[in-house]
Amino acid sequence: MQSANMLLRKTVRSSVLPFAAQHRMQKDLFPLSRALSLSLCLKQDKSCEPSEKLDLDEWKKVMKSGLQEEASETVSEPKELSSLAAARETLEIWRLAGRAVPENICEEELKTFMECPSKSAKKKYLKYLHLKELQKKNDKRKMDEKRERRLEAQNQASKTDETKKSSFVCMWSSTMDKAYSWRAAQSMIFGQPLVFDMSYEKEMSVREVTNTVRQIVLSESCNRRSVDPFHIHFCNFKDDSLYHREFIKQYREAWGKLLITVTDQCYTEIFPKDKLIYLTADSPKVMKTFDHDKIYIVGSMVDKSIKTGVSLARAKRLGLETAALPLDKYLLWSTGAKNLTLDQMIHILLTLKDTADWKKALEFVPKRKYCGFVSKPVKELKKTLDLINILKHGKGREEVQKQFAKSYPKKYKLKQK
Amino acid sequence: MALFSQTSQQGFQALLWKCHMFWPVSRCRQLFAASFSIPNREKINYLSFMTSSSTALPVDPKETDVLPTKKRSEIDCKEGKGWDEETKEIPEGKFRFSSSLGAAKKWSMSHVQSRHKFSNVQPPEKPLQAEEWNKLREDFQSPEIFEEVMLNSMIRCNSPIDVAKSLLTHLAKRNGDIAYNVLVKYLTLCVQQGQVSEIRDVYDIMKVRFKILESGAYNLLIRGLSNSDQWRMALTLLEEVKKIMIPSRTCYESCIKAASRHQEMKLAFELYDEMLAKDVIPTLDVLQSFFDYSRGMKDAELQKELFGILLYLRDNQIYPHKTFMRSIKLWFESIPGGNWRGRLTNIKDSGQCPVCNHQLEDSNLTEEEYSNLSERIVRDVIHGTDTFRKTSPQEFEAFQTFVENRLPFDIVIDGLNVSHIKSRKMQCENLFDAVNCLAKENARLLVLGRKHMLINSSNWKREIMKEMQNKADFFFAENISEDDAFLLYATLRSGKHCKFVTRDFLRDHKACLPDSLTRHLFRKWQRGHQIVFFPSAEGRSMKFLPAFHYDCVVQTTGDTWHIPYKDVFEEKYSYQVPRKWLCIQQK
Repeated sequence: MQSANMLLRKTVRSSVLPFAAQHRMQKDLFPLSRALSLSLCLKQDKSCEPSEKLDLDEWKKVMKSGLQEEASETVSEPKELSSLAAARETLEIWRLAGRAVPENICEEELKTFMECPSKSAKKKYLKYLHLKELQKKNDKRKMDEKRERRLEAQNQASKTDETKKSSFVCMWSSTMDKAYSWRAAQSMIFGQPLVFDMSYEKEMSVREVTNTVRQIVLSESCNRRSVDPFHIHFCNFKDDSLYHREFIKQYREAWGKLLITVTDQCYTEIFPKDKLIYLTADSPKVMKTFDHDKIYIVGSMVDKSIKTGVSLARAKRLGLETAALPLDKYLLWSTGAKNLTLDQMIHILLTLKDTADWKKALEFVPKRKYCGFVSKPVKELKKTLDLINILKHGKGREEVQKQFAKSYPKKYKLKQK
Repeated sequence: MALFSQTSQQGFQALLWKCHMFWPVSRCRQLFAASFSIPNREKINYLSFMTSSSTALPVDPKETDVLPTKKRSEIDCKEGKGWDEETKEIPEGKFRFSSSLGAAKKWSMSHVQSRHKFSNVQPPEKPLQAEEWNKLREDFQSPEIFEEVMLNSMIRCNSPIDVAKSLLTHLAKRNGDIAYNVLVKYLTLCVQQGQVSEIRDVYDIMKVRFKILESGAYNLLIRGLSNSDQWRMALTLLEEVKKIMIPSRTCYESCIKAASRHQEMKLAFELYDEMLAKDVIPTLDVLQSFFDYSRGMKDAELQKELFGILLYLRDNQIYPHKTFMRSIKLWFESIPGGNWRGRLTNIKDSGQCPVCNHQLEDSNLTEEEYSNLSERIVRDVIHGTDTFRKTSPQEFEAFQTFVENRLPFDIVIDGLNVSHIKSRKMQCENLFDAVNCLAKENARLLVLGRKHMLINSSNWKREIMKEMQNKADFFFAENISEDDAFLLYATLRSGKHCKFVTRDFLRDHKACLPDSLTRHLFRKWQRGHQIVFFPSAEGRSMKFLPAFHYDCVVQTTGDTWHIPYKDVFEEKYSYQVPRKWLCIQQK
C-alpha cells in the first residue's frame, strides 16, 4: 500500500500539472488507503508501550559523526575573512534561519547591503531582493510551462496537419508601432503639451527615482497608444542625472528615438505662465473641468514617505496656478493617500481629454482606495453613508465619524444629536 | 445583522439606487456578504472526531497519538507567540485546507503565512518512533514544513523536551543532517525550559557545523546560559558575538543581569558602559536590575554609578515606571548609614514638593538655550528644505517686521485652534471668549490667524472680528501657510515670560528638529510655556491649564532627589508628563 502510494505520488509530482490539480488527485486517490493505514496505526498505538526504548540523543551522534569529516576540512582554512566574504556568510546563515534573504546575491548588491545605515534598512533591502528573486523564479517557471504547452500544441497540430486559411492580413506589432508613432509625431506638432517636472531628484532616494522612471515609461507608452496623445515634455531635465541614467537603462537605444521633447529648460521659459497649471494633491483649488488650452504640469516624484507640500512649494515659488483632482467630490474615499502614481495620472488626464467624463476618468484610481462613485456631493449622502458604514463594519457612530474625518477633513461632520 | 429580512435587503438596494451610488460590483457583493451572512460557526465537540477517524475523512494526525486530555484552554500560551483568536473557532479535528496553497504567489510567501495557518497542530505528549513521525508527516498537508510547524507548536505548548528530541532523531536518521532553523527552534524550547546541558550540546554542534551563527541563535544561547550557573560562558559567548556584529540589547541585558545577580557589579557596569558606547539603548529592565541587586551595599563607587543612571534618565527625559521607581526607593533606603527616606507625592502647581517643601527646578531655559532653540525653529521648522512649503519668504519677512515692531507679547494665541473649542458655537465667538478671558489681566496679546477669517461669513462675523482687534494684535497668514510655526517664533522672540495658547501637541514641529538634544529642549520649553484651553460647562467662562512652573525631570540637590514616575500600563506620549513623584531626602 505504502509503496503504491509513493509511486503514485512520484508520478504526480513529476508531471507538470498545476499544484491544485495535483492536490485534487491526492484527495481522490489516497483517502481510502489513508484511512486503512490509520486504523492500523491506531491499533498499534495501544500496543506501542515504551518497551522499545528510543535513543533520544541519537541525533547528536548523527550530527557529530557527520561533522568530523567536515571539521577536519574547515580547520585548514584561513581564519581571516574579507568583509565581503563575511557578509556573504552572514547572509547564508540568515537564509538558513528562515529569514527573507535572496539565495544568490551579486557583488554590487552585497556592497549596497553593507552600506545600509541601520539594521532595519538591511532587513528591508534583503527582503526586497528576496521578493525580486522569487518573482523572477516564478516568471521563469511560467515561461517554461508555456513553452511546453506550446510544444505540445505544435505536436498535436503537426499530427492533424491542418493548413490555416484566413482572409485577414495579420497585423503585426511592428505595424501597430508604426501607426502609434505617426500619431505621436502628429501630437508633437499639434498636440496639447503635458509637462513632467523633472526637478525632484534631490528629494528622492535612488529607489524612488527608479520607481519614478518606471512610472514615466508606463505613462509614455499609454500616451503613445491613446487616440489623441499629449505632446510630452520633460522639463528641468539635466543630462547625466540619475533620471537620465535610469531612462537609458529602461529604454536602451529607444531613448534617442522617443517622440517627446526633453529639455533642461524650465516650463516657465517655454510656455506662458498664465497657461500653466501645476497638478498637486496639496493644492487648495480643485479641478472642475479639463481645459484644452491649458498646459498641465505633473511633478515626477515618488514619495514613499509622504512629503507634503513639496510640489506645491515649487508652484508657489514660480507663482503658478495649481489644481488637485476632485477625488473627494466624486469618490467615497476610504483609505490611502490621495497622491496617485504618474501612470494613473496620465490615464486620468487622457480620459478626461477624450471624454470629459469624470466617472470614466476616475476608474483609474485604485479600487482599494475608494468604496464607490457618487454623482452628488458627499454631504448630501450622509445618511446613506452612515448606514452603509454601520452595516459594513458594524461600527458605531464614533468610529464612522473618525474615519470620515480623516478622509474628508473639513466637509464631513455628523450632526450631534 | 442576521435578522435582515428579504424586504429590508430590497429596501437597502433601493436606497443605494436612489442616491445614485455606483459601487464596484465586487464590493457590493462583499458588502452584502458581510452584512447578511450568518457568521455562526458551531464549535464542534472535540471528541466527535475521534470516531470519525475510521471514516474516510482526512483526519488530523494528532488524533492518532494524543489522548484528548489536554484541552486547548488549559495550555497557557507564552507571550510573543502569535496566537490569534480565530484558531479557537476552527473545529479542532480538521485542517482547513485552502486551495491557494498551490498558487505560486502564495507559496512564495513561504513559511511566514503558513505558520499562522497551522497554529492548531497539537504536538504529541510522548516521544514517538521514527515510523510514527513519518506517518504524521505523511498525513500533514505540506510535509516540507512539517518539522517547523511541529516544533513551533511544541514551543507554544511547552512540550517535554524528549518529544522534540525524538523528532530530531527521526530527522537525523532520515536526512543525516538537521537544518539550522530546526536547531534554533529546538534551542528555543531548551531555553524556555532551562535545560542547560542541552543548550551546551546544541551550541557545540552548531559551532562545528556552521562557521558563524546569526543573532537569533546567539540571543537564545546567551539568554539560556546566563540564567544558569554557567553564566560566565554567556560572557565568553558575548565576546564571540562582538567579533562579528554589535550584540543586541537583549544579549547585553542577559549578561548584565547575570553579572549583577552574582554580585559582580563592577563587571555589570563595565558591560553597561560598553553598551552605551556602542549606542545600544538599554532597556529599563537592565537599569532596574542594577538598583535591585545593589541593595544594601555600601560602596561609594557603586553609588556614583547608580547616580549616573539616574542622571541618564534625566538627560534623556525618561520616566521610570512604578516598579522601577520602587526599586530605586528601596535601594536608597537600603544604603547603610545613608539615612535616605523616600515618599510618594504629588507636586503642587507652584512647583513645591509637599513632603520636603523643596522648590523644584523651574522650566526656563538659559539664554544660550533660548537663542539656540529659536534659531533652530527658524532654520528647521519654518524654512526646512524649502521656505515655500510652510510660508513664503515675503510673508515671513513681513511677519518678522510685524513682531519686531510690537514686542514684547505676553501671550500668543493660535486663533484657528482656539476657535474650534466648542463645536456648537460660532468660531469667532469662541475666539472672542478666549481673547476676553485672557485680556483681563492687561496682557499684551497676539492672535495668529489666516486671511479667510477676515472674509465675512457664517462663522466669522466682521463686527466681532473688529471688536477683537481692539483688544489684541492680529496677524493673518496666507490661507495655505502654516500658522503654527509663526506661533512658535513669536513666542520665542518675546522672551521667557511669554506663553502661547493652543491645544495642538506640536508633534509635527518637534519632528522637524533633526537631533534629539534640540527635541528635548523643545519639549522642555513647550511644557513651561504652553497654556491649554478647555471649555467649561457653564456658559461663557473658559478654563485653562497653566503652563508648568517647574521642570518635569529627574532632579537632585545632593541631599534630595525628585523622580517623576508613571503608572506601568499607561503609555505616555512625549507631550504628556507624569503627575506622580518620588521624593527622596537625606535626614
